[in-house]
Amino acid sequence: MSRRLLQLAWRNLWRNPRRTSITMAAIALGYAMLLFVACLMEGLRQQMIENGTNLVSSQIQVHAPGYYPHRSLQKTLGGGRGTDVSALIGAVPADHRVYAATPRVYGQGLASAAHQPGGVALIGVSPEQERQVTVLHTHMVKGSYLNERMPKRIVMGDKLATTMGVGVGSEIALLAQAADGSMGDDLYEVAGTFHSGIEPLDRGLVLMSLSSLQELLHLAPGRIHEVAIKLHDTTEAVTVAETLEARLGKTLPVRVQAWPQLAPELAAYVQFNRSVTVILFFVFFLLAVMGIMNTMLMAVFERTRELGMLMSVGMRPVQVVGLVLAEATGLAVVSLVLGAALGAPLLWYLQAHGLEVGGAANEIAVAGVPVGHLWYGRQDFSAYSQAALGLAITAVVSALYPALRAAHYRPTEALRKA
Amino acid sequence: MGLCLGLILLSLSQTSPAADERAQEVVSRVAQLFRSTSSIATVRMQISKQEGHRNLAMKIWSLGADNVLLRIDGPQEEAGTAVLKVGRDIWYYLPKAKRTVKLPPSMTMTSWMGSDFTVDDLVKESLLARDYAVTPFFEGERGGVAVYEYSLTPKPDAAVVWGRIIVQLYQVNMMPTWQGYYDEDGKLVREQTFSEYKMMGGRLIPTRIVMRAVDKPGEQTTIVFEDISFDVPISPDTFSPSNLKR
Repeated sequence: MSRRLLQLAWRNLWRNPRRTSITMAAIALGYAMLLFVACLMEGLRQQMIENGTNLVSSQIQVHAPGYYPHRSLQKTLGGGRGTDVSALIGAVPADHRVYAATPRVYGQGLASAAHQPGGVALIGVSPEQERQVTVLHTHMVKGSYLNERMPKRIVMGDKLATTMGVGVGSEIALLAQAADGSMGDDLYEVAGTFHSGIEPLDRGLVLMSLSSLQELLHLAPGRIHEVAIKLHDTTEAVTVAETLEARLGKTLPVRVQAWPQLAPELAAYVQFNRSVTVILFFVFFLLAVMGIMNTMLMAVFERTRELGMLMSVGMRPVQVVGLVLAEATGLAVVSLVLGAALGAPLLWYLQAHGLEVGGAANEIAVAGVPVGHLWYGRQDFSAYSQAALGLAITAVVSALYPALRAAHYRPTEALRKA
Repeated sequence: MGLCLGLILLSLSQTSPAADERAQEVVSRVAQLFRSTSSIATVRMQISKQEGHRNLAMKIWSLGADNVLLRIDGPQEEAGTAVLKVGRDIWYYLPKAKRTVKLPPSMTMTSWMGSDFTVDDLVKESLLARDYAVTPFFEGERGGVAVYEYSLTPKPDAAVVWGRIIVQLYQVNMMPTWQGYYDEDGKLVREQTFSEYKMMGGRLIPTRIVMRAVDKPGEQTTIVFEDISFDVPISPDTFSPSNLKR
C-alpha cells in the first residue's frame, strides 16, 4: 500500500471530524471499559486463587503416593519409617521458582472443653516456616498465632471457639485416633482464634505445632504428611509441580499436586470467570462492528462521486478496497490509543486502591473461597492486547463490506450521481 | 448383662410379639444363659492391623442393662483410658489430659482404639429387640454341624446402620457361633465368630470372639475372656463419670 494511499486515507478520516470523533470516542470508551473489566477480572481471579491457596492449603502440596485425598494417617512421606524432614524441606527451594516450603501433619480429633465436644480437623505446622507459605497468621481475631517455643498451644477457628464456648487461654482436651491405632489425648491451651472466611476452617480447624501433633498422633518426628509450597508466581504452579515430582521422586516416592488439582472447584471458577470475560469481549466487538461499519458505509456513500472519479482516472478496485480498509484501520488504531490513554489511570487506580464492592461480599464465597469486599485490579496484558487485536480485526472486517461495495462502483455511474 | 461385645443375642430377651414362636423360645434361652444383674470381666483384646499388632488388657464392669464401664489396664502407655456407658450417654476418660469427655453420638460408630469393634459394639446395648424383627432363616447342617440361623431385619422406623444381621447358633447347646452384618444392599460387611466355649463364672460362654471387616483382609480383632464373674455386688458409684479418673 502506497504511502500516498495512507495519506489519502488519513485525510479522508478527518473530512467529517464530528462523525469520526464520535465513532472514535465510542470505540475508545469501549476499549477503556474492556481494559477495566479485564483488569478487574484478572484481579478477582488472582485474589480468589490467593484466598483459596494462601490461607491454608498452599499452591503446591507434596504427599506420599496415595495419601491425597483420603489423608490416611499412616501414609506419611517415606512410609512408616518417615524421612529426613529438614533435608526434604531444604531440597524444595532449590527450584528458584519456589518461594518457601513447610512441613505439615494432618489428623482428626475430638475437641472438648466444658460444652459438648465436637470433631475437628487437626493440622500440625512449623510456625516460622508456615508464615512464609500461608497467611493465616494475619487473620487472627483474638490472641496470637502459634509460636515455635510454646508447644501444647493451639489456634482455632473463631466459630469453633464460639460453639465450644472457649477463648484465649482456655484449656482444651483433644482426643485423636493415633497412627498406631491407639488413642492419643492431651490438654492444650488456646493461643488465639482466627477468622478466614472459609466456613469449614472457621468451624472446624485446629492448628498446633508440628511436634505437638506428632506427639498426639504417636508419629515419630520424621513422619510428616505433607510439604506445602508457595511460589513466586502462582501461574507456574502446574509446571513447577511436575518438575518437583520428577526431582524429588528420585530419592523419595512422592506425588506433587498443584492447586488446580487440589482445589478443582477453584480452578473451575477461574475458568468460568475467564469465559465470562471473553463473552464480554465478544459483545463489545459486536457493538464495535456496528459502529465502524456504519461510519465507513456513510463515508463511502458520501463519496460515491469522488470514488468514481478516482477510478475513472485510474485507481484500481483493489486500491479502493485498500483505501477504505486503511481508513477503518486508522479509525481503530487512533481509538485504541485514545482508549488506552483513557483506561490507564483507571487501571492504575484499580491496582493501587481497589474497587469497594460493599461489605456484603465478605459473606459470599465462591467455590468455598471468600470473595472479599475490596477487589484489586491486576494487569492482564495478554487480555489487553487480545482486546486490541480483536478490535483492530473487527474494524477491518466491518469495513470490508463498505470497501467491496465501493470497489464495485462503475466509474460512469458513480460520476453521474449528484 | 450389659456386656455386648457384639453378643447381640444377649439383649434379645424381649423379642417382638410378631417374631416366630420358636425363634423367641430359642432366643430367650440364649438370653437367659447370659442374664445377670451384674458382672465383672477380665478381657484381652488382640488387634491385628497391617501397621502392626497390639494387645490390650482391659476390665469390664456391668450393672443392669444401663451401666457399663470399660477400663484399659495395659499396656502402660494406654492404661487408664476408660469408656463409661450410663443409660444412653457414653463418656470417655482421657488419662493424659485427665479429662472426661462425653462422646457425641456420631463418634460411637467409629473404631475403638483402632480395633474392628466400635464404641457402640463394646458398651452400648443395642436395642435389638426394639429395632430389629427376628425371623428363622435356616435350620440344618453347616459344615456337618447342626445350627439354627436367625435373620434380624431392622424395623421400618429404626435408626440402625445394618441392613440385616444373621445370627448362627449351635443346635446342641444354643451357643452363638457366627454373626454376619450386612449392608442395605445385602452385602456382608463384617463378621464375628465365636469359639472356645468354656465354663466361666458358672456358665458356659464363648470365650473367644473374633471380629473382622470383609474389606480389610488380613486384619482382625480378637477378644478373649480370661475371667468373668456374674451377679457380684458392684457399687453404682463405679459408673459415675466423675469417678472415671481413678
